[in-house]
Amino acid sequence: MIEELIANLGFGMSVAVSPTNVFFLFVGAFVGMIVGLFPGFGPAAGIAVLVPMTFGLDPTTAIIMLAGIYYGSMYGGTITSILINTPGESATVASTLDGYPLAQKGRAGPALVMQTFASFIGGTIGVILICALAPTLAEFASSFGPSEYFLIILFGLLLLTTMMGENKFNGIVSALLGFVISMVGVDVISGVQRFTFGSPELIGGIYFVPIAIGLFGIGELLHCIYIGQHKKMIERAKVAFRSKDFWPTRKDYSESKFTVFRGSFIGFIAGVLPGSGATIGSILGYSIEKKIAKDPETFGKGEMRGLVAPEAANNAASSGAMVPLLSLGIPGSGATAVLLGAFMMWGLQPGPMLIVNDPGFVWGLIASMYLGNMVLIILSIAAIPLFIKFLDIPYVYVIPVVVLLCVIGTYTLHFSMVETWMLLVAGLLGFCMKLYGYSPAATVLALVLGSMAEENLLQSLIISDGSFAIFVDRPISFILSMIIVAVIAAPFAYRAFKKLSYSNGVT
Amino acid sequence: MLAKKVKFIVSAAAVSVAAYSNVAIADESNYPSQTLNYIIAFGPGGGNDLMSRTVVEILNDYDLFGGQNIVVENRAGGSGAIGFSHVNRQHDNPYYATSTSGNFITTPLTANTDWAPGDFTPIGLLASDAMFLVVREDSDYHSVDDFVEAAQSSRIIVGGTGSAGPSRVVASLFADEAGISLEYVPAGTGGEMVTALTSNSVQAIVANPSEVAGQIAAGNFRALAYSDGERSDVYPDVPTFQESGYDLSFSLPRGVVLPGGVDSEIQEWWISALKEVVETEEWNNYLETNSLSGTYIWGDEFGDYLSETSETFEQTLRNIGAID
Repeated sequence: MIEELIANLGFGMSVAVSPTNVFFLFVGAFVGMIVGLFPGFGPAAGIAVLVPMTFGLDPTTAIIMLAGIYYGSMYGGTITSILINTPGESATVASTLDGYPLAQKGRAGPALVMQTFASFIGGTIGVILICALAPTLAEFASSFGPSEYFLIILFGLLLLTTMMGENKFNGIVSALLGFVISMVGVDVISGVQRFTFGSPELIGGIYFVPIAIGLFGIGELLHCIYIGQHKKMIERAKVAFRSKDFWPTRKDYSESKFTVFRGSFIGFIAGVLPGSGATIGSILGYSIEKKIAKDPETFGKGEMRGLVAPEAANNAASSGAMVPLLSLGIPGSGATAVLLGAFMMWGLQPGPMLIVNDPGFVWGLIASMYLGNMVLIILSIAAIPLFIKFLDIPYVYVIPVVVLLCVIGTYTLHFSMVETWMLLVAGLLGFCMKLYGYSPAATVLALVLGSMAEENLLQSLIISDGSFAIFVDRPISFILSMIIVAVIAAPFAYRAFKKLSYSNGVT
Repeated sequence: MLAKKVKFIVSAAAVSVAAYSNVAIADESNYPSQTLNYIIAFGPGGGNDLMSRTVVEILNDYDLFGGQNIVVENRAGGSGAIGFSHVNRQHDNPYYATSTSGNFITTPLTANTDWAPGDFTPIGLLASDAMFLVVREDSDYHSVDDFVEAAQSSRIIVGGTGSAGPSRVVASLFADEAGISLEYVPAGTGGEMVTALTSNSVQAIVANPSEVAGQIAAGNFRALAYSDGERSDVYPDVPTFQESGYDLSFSLPRGVVLPGGVDSEIQEWWISALKEVVETEEWNNYLETNSLSGTYIWGDEFGDYLSETSETFEQTLRNIGAID
């Protein structure tokens, strides 16, 4: 097993390590970091835009570059999460929760360095797990039908609402808003149009990108103007690249050494399950870390572990998502769906036979991901001083530039004015939500997951002829149902237990 | 690569000039004398995108477009509604072209679009995209007859992509023809549909060959029947529904159309250009990789074919209650 693995990887390296491939890997990783920096301009859009430019390249080289964009964006997306509290993409939403408070506390430098290490370890663990587990995991993933998908999404949403912290009611309202938005468009089950008002632009539903850019990007800017931040002298963290304060302290490393491994494994599992991917992976990583911490109250206030966990998780998830993609031809996210499209564009037939028919391609890609993570850690560390400079720019200049980037980014997605207006409406909404303590993150995540949850629930019920027994009849469904029941029941059981032991103690 | 990039930028600049200056169309005698805008009504990476780019690449490589540039642009949104509408608005402009596929037929039936398939100038059908009835390799059904027999005595669940797409049409035509009832479960994407079968959630799926080619090659899935009039060149072993005794034939038109009102000489020019395209090795490789059959119908006959397919679709969608 081990020898086979090493032989496979050696073969992959021999494919990946050519001057051309390494050059394009570098280009892909660099572009990925930049793509990650644009709020809302995620890896799916980045890859899609660059696909036409790769015509004429060898398929392996092209995919190595496109995959570099994909996982490179996980590195870049966090930089904006930390520095301007705007996640570069949905997978780095969880990283804002502690990343931005860290920057506010003047620890932007250590936060950036730690996220790079966490990303590197997460990404590398993910690639190692792909090699070791690909065949077995593929079998596991292929036994996931609609009922299992519904339960896994339900589990994700459940963790999301419990994670939202102080005001669960506002959190649930925010999530419901996301569900409402996700109902627009053609209902997959009945084929009936819902809330499209006859507009062809709405048939495909409301795309989450303009909503996410609006809620996070524009909403945040409006809020800054509202509180008058642009008039204040920015209290910028004095981060000198050569200073000792730039580097994480020994305490940062020792506190998060287990966190990074937990985050990596959780993220990888989330990535492997098609449809969940890096966003759920990072949320799961964060909430589980917070749940098991002895001091959960420090989370959200600039806790290093709260940054390391989702960062390790989203990078491991981006590797994990390659497993169903390469072994079954099933994309787990928007970005991997575009990659799959690129595979087919080069005449590669995705599916279980890919690794048999084109081992050079598959192992070359996997090997390139090891190299890619190394390239990215070098790029990230070397470029941090450059990114720190963003903090030095007065807010008055930042606001118009970011608005411009948001609007251009949204418009160029589909050249759609309707989506551009959606962006601006979502911006106003995001401002109000921030003002009144609602959670834009819950809205966006419910928007992404809502239609999938609905679709899989209805599919399950058609299959079972309306019986809910389908959620306990199938073995994996049964296990998932039990976990969900346990998650719901745990707080009540805990309270009851505490009460019991309290009353026992009194008598 | 650098040259490619420069070309990309130059052509991107060209498209903006072409798009924003309403230059009068040159006379037809020296067609083509301008840049062609090939609009793809879907995002990069899908079936329509792949076919369009293959056609454009062949036109470029064999210098079939009179040395003029071809700019490819994806205008996705509304299941093709946006992109096809964009082309339709270029009435009688011979420097716009686009590729048809299933949504070219279904979107105007199910949504309020400002165009219909008949509004365009038909050039040619280049490939037909028919559907397989697929079961797992360990399934008891070895033929369509086995399947029909089982469906007469038990509840059979069939998966497919979309509620009102080609999967649904084939499943529904087949059920009518065989006098059975099938429970149809629509999946959002081809991947979801495939896992519904691998996970044993459904007994069969109606899938596009390209969606299941990998699983069939790996010996996990077995195709029982093919919905085209003739057997597929790529899967000569899979019988058609008609051979199996069920009189149905349905496939999606993968072809090329120009905006409506284009001069008939230009229509003829395009027909002869595309006849050269389908002769090339590249085109045949494309057909084989994507498990498509090369079926060629030219000009106004293609237009008739489009309206027939549209009628079959409309009838089925009415029967299942998706439209009224």
